[in-house]
Amino acid sequence: MALVLLAAGQGSRVGHETNKVFLPLAGRRVLTWSLDSTQRLPGLARTVVVLQDDDRVHADVILHREARGREVTLVRGGDTRHGSELNALRALASSIRGGQVDVVVIHDAARPLAAPRMFTQVADAARLLGGALPVLDQDGLVYDDGAPVRSRLVTVQTPQAFHAAPLLDAYEQAARAGFIGSDTAACVEQFSDLRVHCLPGDAGNIKITFPEDLFLAERLLARAHWRLS
Amino acid sequence: MNTEHAVLTCSSCGLEADHELRYTGRLLHSTRCTSCDHVVRHDQRDLYTSYLRDLEHRVASKPRRLARAATREPWSFARGLPRAMLRQPGKLLEEIWTLWRR
Repeated sequence: MALVLLAAGQGSRVGHETNKVFLPLAGRRVLTWSLDSTQRLPGLARTVVVLQDDDRVHADVILHREARGREVTLVRGGDTRHGSELNALRALASSIRGGQVDVVVIHDAARPLAAPRMFTQVADAARLLGGALPVLDQDGLVYDDGAPVRSRLVTVQTPQAFHAAPLLDAYEQAARAGFIGSDTAACVEQFSDLRVHCLPGDAGNIKITFPEDLFLAERLLARAHWRLS
Repeated sequence: MNTEHAVLTCSSCGLEADHELRYTGRLLHSTRCTSCDHVVRHDQRDLYTSYLRDLEHRVASKPRRLARAATREPWSFARGLPRAMLRQPGKLLEEIWTLWRR
């Protein structure tokens, strides 16, 4: 199995800002918490972190300090999430073709609270079924006139996992076709026969987007690790 | 106090904007949107309690962290120790001052 941590961002920074995956969070960095959650993942052969070139030195320092001993391959990010995933899969291509990697787990590094069991669950499901991703149902939605929204609406989270070889093939086909997917599953559905299965997500698996998310994540992590009030 | 800047989505103006993030010790003290000046911060009493718990944990885990650093890189640890020791009281006073003056 291989793990891909997406940390390249969307390029909205203009200069002196820190990539949010390098922000301090409860004594460590946001990125380090994701690496920590996957430290003991059974069968993990490769770990790839996708970053922009500007962040490489910063990443080296943090990995040296907070994830020492962990073998991590740093890969250059693309212009889009899709491009970053393609670069990561190409970096893993020899391990995938060589049979060392059967499943690829893709995770957004800005989700530091994903529990280790979530990684195991999506990887196991992908191994069995082809592809798996966690979703959260959005219940209780109504239209303007008060009528309930009947179709099932879900928010999609990461980590997501897929059979490695068909995933790599799908991304190479998409590259030839000039297709840019909004997420991994979109590309898989368009360019492979893999069935993507939904697993129950976790409301605590928040993505750092708003400042309030940092406070919440800090509180949850600190409470779990040193009984913060 | 450590200050960082990062692009986050402001819950007040809704823009993806540069935010100034201020930390006291390991804790996030406050955030300010540089676009609309919207500030998010801990409640004062809550911050005191959290800071004391955090400090307690940092002090309790210091020997272990020092031992680990000394084992991993003895030479750079020995070289940096005097400066680090001299810096600690000032660092602590700055943290307390930051909490006090809010």
